[in-house]
Amino acid sequence: MADDNDSRDAVVIERNFDAPVELIWQMWTDPEHFRAWYGPDGASIPVAKMDVRVGGSRRVCMEVQTPDGPMQVWFTGEYREVVEHERLVYSESMSDEDGNVVSPSDMGMPEGHPATTEVRVQLEDLGGRTKMVMTHAGVPGESPGAAGWRMALDKLAAHIQTHGDR
Amino acid sequence: MTTTTGDDRLSDTFAALANATRRAILARLATGEATVNELAEPFEMTLPAISKHIKVLERAGLVRRGARAQYRPCALDATALEEVSTWAEQYRPAWEARFDRMDDYLARLSPRRKADPHDG
Repeated sequence: MADDNDSRDAVVIERNFDAPVELIWQMWTDPEHFRAWYGPDGASIPVAKMDVRVGGSRRVCMEVQTPDGPMQVWFTGEYREVVEHERLVYSESMSDEDGNVVSPSDMGMPEGHPATTEVRVQLEDLGGRTKMVMTHAGVPGESPGAAGWRMALDKLAAHIQTHGDR
Repeated sequence: MTTTTGDDRLSDTFAALANATRRAILARLATGEATVNELAEPFEMTLPAISKHIKVLERAGLVRRGARAQYRPCALDATALEEVSTWAEQYRPAWEARFDRMDDYLARLSPRRKADPHDG
């Protein structure tokens, strides 16, 4: 296995789908299919542009309804690995609608949220069914403060420990 | 399978932490257990309002309540915090929900493929 999952800074989800691997591949690479499932409940994906080849770019707009009206959040990224029906890797950063990367803290994310994350999708053909392993990881190195969110909570936990010892 | 329960719990934890009053209550409890009355003191809030915040913290597993009927002091339970100690974990519930939707969408695309016994 090429990548050992550093599960400390990644979400790994494994799912089996009752659909052929070609269709699951399209779920990720065909904007029309992607829009159907990707947005959170109550949100829509008005824009999904995908140039699915290594080095190709992607841009996704998510529109969520807030008490103050609809709010758009844009994401930009680049395809890093494209092995049809098998493996898809892309980077993702928050951006403005022109694709200029914005810092997560400017978008109200907790301090230290990585500026760039990576989504890896590994598919396995089970003969009409598909096993999918999705890994969403922070990109190390690029954001030295990536552990900030964890550090804040560690600090709180340490604080609790210290005071709880008395 | 307890995964769903775990995810729900995680959502509860994040929801509980996403409030300044509740974080202040946790910070106060970090110095030792306290009754609801004591917890309410620094806040300009009614007791029922504070109790509501404490219930949210309890449900998220962040606070334990004592059994002594009269006072039922609150104490901090730090284990729930460990579950949320990566930025990445906050995305888990969102991804799980997405893949649930993908499942539903796939079933709609090809109803024949899925001989769903729950149908009807």
